[in-house]
Amino acid sequence: MLALLFILFAGMAIGCAIAVVAQRNPLYSAISLIGVFLSLACLYVMLAAPFIAAVQVIVYAGAIMVLVVFVIMLLNVDQEERRRPHLAFLVPAAIVLAAVLIGEVAFILSSVQLYPHTPTTNISDIGLTASIGAGLFTTYLLPFEITSILLLMAIVGAMTLARQTMIPSASTRIVPGAQLLALNIIDPKVPLDDTTTVLTHTTAEAERVLGIVHDHESAPRE
Amino acid sequence: MDWSTIIDIGLKLVAITVAFTVVLLIVAYTVLAERRVLALIQGRLGPNRVGFGGSLQPFADLLKFILKEDIVPDKSTRFVYFLAPVIATMAALMTMIVYPFGPEINVPFIHVTIPLVIARFDVALLYVLGVTSVGVYGIALAGWSSNNKYSLMGGLRSSAQMISYELALGLSLIGVILQAGTLDLQRIVELQSRAHGAGWFIFWLQPLGFIIYLISAIAETNRVPFDLPEAETELVAGFHTEYSAMKFALFFMAEYINMFTVSMLATTLFLGGWNVPFAEDLFGRGTLLFGLVSAIGFLVKVCFFLFVYIWLRGTLPRFRFDQLMNFGWKFLLPLALVNIFITATLLFFNVL
Repeated sequence: MLALLFILFAGMAIGCAIAVVAQRNPLYSAISLIGVFLSLACLYVMLAAPFIAAVQVIVYAGAIMVLVVFVIMLLNVDQEERRRPHLAFLVPAAIVLAAVLIGEVAFILSSVQLYPHTPTTNISDIGLTASIGAGLFTTYLLPFEITSILLLMAIVGAMTLARQTMIPSASTRIVPGAQLLALNIIDPKVPLDDTTTVLTHTTAEAERVLGIVHDHESAPRE
Repeated sequence: MDWSTIIDIGLKLVAITVAFTVVLLIVAYTVLAERRVLALIQGRLGPNRVGFGGSLQPFADLLKFILKEDIVPDKSTRFVYFLAPVIATMAALMTMIVYPFGPEINVPFIHVTIPLVIARFDVALLYVLGVTSVGVYGIALAGWSSNNKYSLMGGLRSSAQMISYELALGLSLIGVILQAGTLDLQRIVELQSRAHGAGWFIFWLQPLGFIIYLISAIAETNRVPFDLPEAETELVAGFHTEYSAMKFALFFMAEYINMFTVSMLATTLFLGGWNVPFAEDLFGRGTLLFGLVSAIGFLVKVCFFLFVYIWLRGTLPRFRFDQLMNFGWKFLLPLALVNIFITATLLFFNVL
């Protein structure tokens, strides 16, 4: 019974993982990745870790993948064209690495056979929420707090990068379609990196506000 | 596999089928109740022709949805277009299994104790939060796969609103978890049976948590006053513009099942679940009559919440989207944190 369930969930996980890599449409890859996470959550439940399973669904499938799906939807990432890959030079490296992987798996399986560990019949208490909470707030308190500060740093960094540099005050009028132009366009004698900002409605008004006087013998700009 | 496992699985399947049917019937009649009650609030009668007082209207609507022409937009992404209502409905229905409808009943002749909950496990509340998080995908994918700018805007706005208010929802539940000390829903309901079955969490210690939960829940289910993403006057019909017939019916049903689920969670956590005051003194623990009265009490409380939903729809105007996001992030989230702080402080000083 348990073996049947394991084969089902592991098969789903492997199938969805292959689909992540093999799909051409990036949104289908993202949906397959969600399938992988849900199958992993079921496997965690089978391993008597219900809290980790729930947190996997809430955090990974419910928050991180929503972000990835938003990015794919908003940035209109197109499907890859099907073209023949010119990656023939990677085949020997792939064979060597696959042999190493098979060797490692064979080693693990053989040592499990050689040194069997009789499983205890009771389901362990480590996976329960109360046990995890107790450990997290007593023994592992310092790593927990440091991880929180790490996440806070990420949020602050994102906010700093996305901040608008010029924030108009409440009394400015913003004309729809207005642009920020360099001062050099109105007054060619000003260097190009002058970032004086004046909010006006017309170029003539800007010239008057900034006190720029044109001499009419200069060549007209194209 | 021995016989007792097979009988267990069989009983669970029967329970799931019964719950599924009951939920669908209640949702169908909630739609009818909404139309009648909304009509009475607005000074007109609702549908009252089909059947006695309109009671067969849901079946007429179902027939209409099945027989309508199924239009699929040409340039939409077919697989995701068909997957989105499936995800929405599945996520809405999957939370049904953890709610306790009644206490444990001792069936008299067979001497078997039946708990009136389909699945009882340790992390029930986290499971509900997880499945609600997955339900966001139904709406986001529906909005995108319709290949229509209005749908995309509606879908993105709705998903942004849902993931913002999930925070306040989760934090408002932490107060209850702190007070109960467990995530198991049956245990939380049993803890509210002090004071002759009237020691509900909304009275003792979580009125603020209840209000935060209710507002977040209304925002989660995209109901008025938070229904900008699917308002008719705003974005045609939001993320379900391009869906017709049965797929639209699935989205429609998913919204009402979500309402029902959220009402059941509010009842379980704050209003005492199946605890009816003085029922235990009158009928005695574990008897069939006590179970029946408790289940009816549970249903009455859930219907009260559904009525509150409909009442709000008939009464309040809707939020603008930036007002909505400001309200969720700048007001509800700090308020939920204050609630946790107050609960934890009172627990620490052993007031509870």
